[in-house]
Amino acid sequence: MVRWWREIFSKRELVWILIERNLKIRYKNSFLGFFWSLLGPLSLIAIYSIFLSLIRIPIALPTLVSGIIIWQFLAMCMGDALHSIVGNANLVTKAAFPRLILPLSMVGANAVNFLFSFAVLLAYLLAAGADFGPVLMLPVILLTQTALCLGMALMIGAANVFFRDTEHVLSVVMLAWFFLSPVIYGPELVMTSFPRWVHILFFLNPMSGILTAYRGALLSQQAAGFGLVALSFGVAWAIFLIGLGVFRAVEPRFGDEL
Amino acid sequence: MTDPVQDNRAIVVEQMGKCFRLQRSGTRTVKSAVLDLVRNRGAGKNAFWALRDIDFSVGRGETLGIVGANGAGKSTLLSLLAGTKVPTTGRIRTSGTVSSLLELGAGFHPDLTGRENVFLAGAIMGLSRRQMRERFEAIVDFAGLRDFIDQPVKHYSSGMYVRLGFAVAVEVDPDILLIDEVLAVGDDNFQKKCLGKIDAFRRAGKTMLIISHDLPTIQSISDRILFLEEGRMAGLGDPHEVVGRYRASARARQAGGHEREWGTGEARIADVVFEDEAGRKTDTFSSGGLLRCRIRFQSQIRIEDPVFGFALADANARLVFGSNTQIEGFRIPAIEGEGEVVLILRDLPMGTGNYLFSFSLHSADHRTNYHRLDHCFSISVLSPSRFEGVCRIPCQWQLPPATT
Repeated sequence: MVRWWREIFSKRELVWILIERNLKIRYKNSFLGFFWSLLGPLSLIAIYSIFLSLIRIPIALPTLVSGIIIWQFLAMCMGDALHSIVGNANLVTKAAFPRLILPLSMVGANAVNFLFSFAVLLAYLLAAGADFGPVLMLPVILLTQTALCLGMALMIGAANVFFRDTEHVLSVVMLAWFFLSPVIYGPELVMTSFPRWVHILFFLNPMSGILTAYRGALLSQQAAGFGLVALSFGVAWAIFLIGLGVFRAVEPRFGDEL
Repeated sequence: MTDPVQDNRAIVVEQMGKCFRLQRSGTRTVKSAVLDLVRNRGAGKNAFWALRDIDFSVGRGETLGIVGANGAGKSTLLSLLAGTKVPTTGRIRTSGTVSSLLELGAGFHPDLTGRENVFLAGAIMGLSRRQMRERFEAIVDFAGLRDFIDQPVKHYSSGMYVRLGFAVAVEVDPDILLIDEVLAVGDDNFQKKCLGKIDAFRRAGKTMLIISHDLPTIQSISDRILFLEEGRMAGLGDPHEVVGRYRASARARQAGGHEREWGTGEARIADVVFEDEAGRKTDTFSSGGLLRCRIRFQSQIRIEDPVFGFALADANARLVFGSNTQIEGFRIPAIEGEGEVVLILRDLPMGTGNYLFSFSLHSADHRTNYHRLDHCFSISVLSPSRFEGVCRIPCQWQLPPATT
């Protein structure tokens, strides 16, 4: 275990280069290049504001766009996770290096992208005069979401090496997960009308706590108690550890399967 | 992955085997995986041992050549040493950094430029950006790609690809270099550069493992050669001897199309075993020595006065010598059931090379051919002296007394 980590640490240069590569390839051959990571969330906010002004939906624009931008980080990671190992088959079968670096650098690249989107979101919230809460919690929330993304990515990336059904299963799971998480609605929808055990079930979904915490820090929304949010965070870190364990166990077989 | 070695050996492979589970078709889906589990995979009909009982070590600074037919497990062995595959049984230990030239430039991303790919490749091998920057000029020079280094590699020709891959692999200065069939690519000029680099590597005391089908080259650059046959070690040692054995085996396999077998089948030559002077089973003989063939036969009928024959041909199936029991005046009254006849050849006159044996069993009047095996048995002969032709004829040179 110690050697495993030491090997990953000794190849940290590779993590940076692969993050760079992932970002470069994403905007290669596109005219506006890196500006898209700013233009994307900007147009998203614009479109939803027009949409909300036309149709009566009981949700505030800041709550909705923050939910969608935060969710996108997870969704992008999950989509890229499918190909993080399989798509790098030429590297995996030709060179020996800790395979964890592939999903790690993929999540890293998406995190960089998310930071740009997040900056746009912050700028919008400032302009909209949002009532900020405990913003110092943001790094902890971001780290927890990144851990969740990595844990899931490790499992999905590994699963896709052995079962190519993973892609189809994932698209169904992601759709269900999207509506089970308070992305396009606020958690108070659940908190006000269901018994306590449903609340616990709801917050066993790590994204429930993560979204609630983000909105607490950004919009001062106190939708749920500290206990429920902590439960979500605990699940997120548990998924991270399980992902590491699963990945480490099956990693030696990648070379044979690809 | 691999554990370090403490002594002066660079690579130690112990009782290593690699088993693949073959899939029935295409990629795996959840359904097929569940079916496999339900079907109780047991001993695994689909198990395929690509390598078995591999046991060798490579000293620091040694160059080991690997030869074998396609599918013998050469490339699997190299990927196990590189650490991209994990052995099923036994273990592999290496000391120092390993750089592999398994399919040069395979890790390159087509959309990235040559420069970006060089840094990526360096990072995969564990070098920092600073270390790569120091080597960058040498890499570009060696590859001869100065004008193209900032182009995406998808615009490169396959030759340029390989050149860049080779340049990176050698310039990262690994302790162990694995080379898979790269001596066959690139133009003559680049090949010369590669061979020069390999030679410099050798002089620098680096350890190398080289796979090649180019036998004369591999024979000349290797200290020892490992011969793999159907996933097992069929020879390890002196380059000339092992390459000779590989050639013999390759020839025996196809016999250059000369191999033939026919006959009535009523009686068969079941097996032929070759032994040396001391009675040891072998297929390598020294010139001037003794060769004993134990010809085992099985006959379903009683054959009166049978004749056993043999012929010895060179590697191109040109007859060197042939004879039979009738010609030699050795009469066998009758055969029935199983038995053995022994043929002894003394003072082998042939020079170094591979030779093909044919055996036959026929009736005294040559009308009935019970069994013939043409060019089916291969042996190699090693001779300390060099001469032209197939056989050595005792010769002596003299000067007339008057001139002394």
